[in-house]
Amino acid sequence: MIKTSTQNELIQYVYDELAEDACTQLESAFMQDTELAEGCSELLRLQQLLDGASKVPSKRSVQNILNYSKSLSLQS
Amino acid sequence: MNTTTQMSDSALVSLYIQGNESAFEQLVNRHKNKVYTTILLIVKDSYTAEDLMQDAFIKAIHTMKGGRYNEEGKFSSWICRIAHNLAIDHFRKEKRSPVITLEDGSNVFNTMSFSEDSAESLQIKEDTHARLRELIQTLPQSQREVLMMRHYADMSFQEIADATGVSINTALGRMRYALINLRKKMLKSNIAYDKNLYSE
Repeated sequence: MIKTSTQNELIQYVYDELAEDACTQLESAFMQDTELAEGCSELLRLQQLLDGASKVPSKRSVQNILNYSKSLSLQS
Repeated sequence: MNTTTQMSDSALVSLYIQGNESAFEQLVNRHKNKVYTTILLIVKDSYTAEDLMQDAFIKAIHTMKGGRYNEEGKFSSWICRIAHNLAIDHFRKEKRSPVITLEDGSNVFNTMSFSEDSAESLQIKEDTHARLRELIQTLPQSQREVLMMRHYADMSFQEIADATGVSINTALGRMRYALINLRKKMLKSNIAYDKNLYSE
């Protein structure tokens, strides 16, 4: 059973928010604790899946934004 | 070669404030997908999401060109927070869930594109990602909010804790439960845990 504090650290670890020394400790723990290592692997897979679920806006909308910015530059 | 491609967001913002439009184009291209997805997951309508994404960047343009941009914090968190707030404002005004359709009448969640894949694997990816977005919508509100703020709006857990008035441990706990619940829902919905689905 993984402790809640460690589970929170795992979340911070996969989102690159864990302090360097805590990262080193956690990475050492992965070598000893298979459940912890698998938990991390699972989170990374979910994270990648969530990345893939992002959507792309239309080129027209992006161009509108860029044109708007340029039009302001021309006015000033 | 475009010299802005390797620059940090902070350097690009500085260049843009000095009048470099290419720097702004780089910023927009870097963050448009996260900004758009952040909005789309809230408003659930592609037309509205496109409009609000433009509004978010226009707001950012005025802030930067008006000399009011705060150098503290990440640009990505800042622009996604603007987008998130605009989407929430819109959602509160509308107080309804509009039908999600595109110009051709197809469902908004069926238009993802991937390269170098067979038609069959493309379809599997499309279906999986579409289903995943639907499952995100079924999470409890507090969990969905943290997941969207952290994963798509790129806010740190501390920023989320501050924005939602909870402790960082509560924000982390909500994220943990969001991911646990999402995994359970995926398994229940027979969404395959195939590693090939993870690469774009």
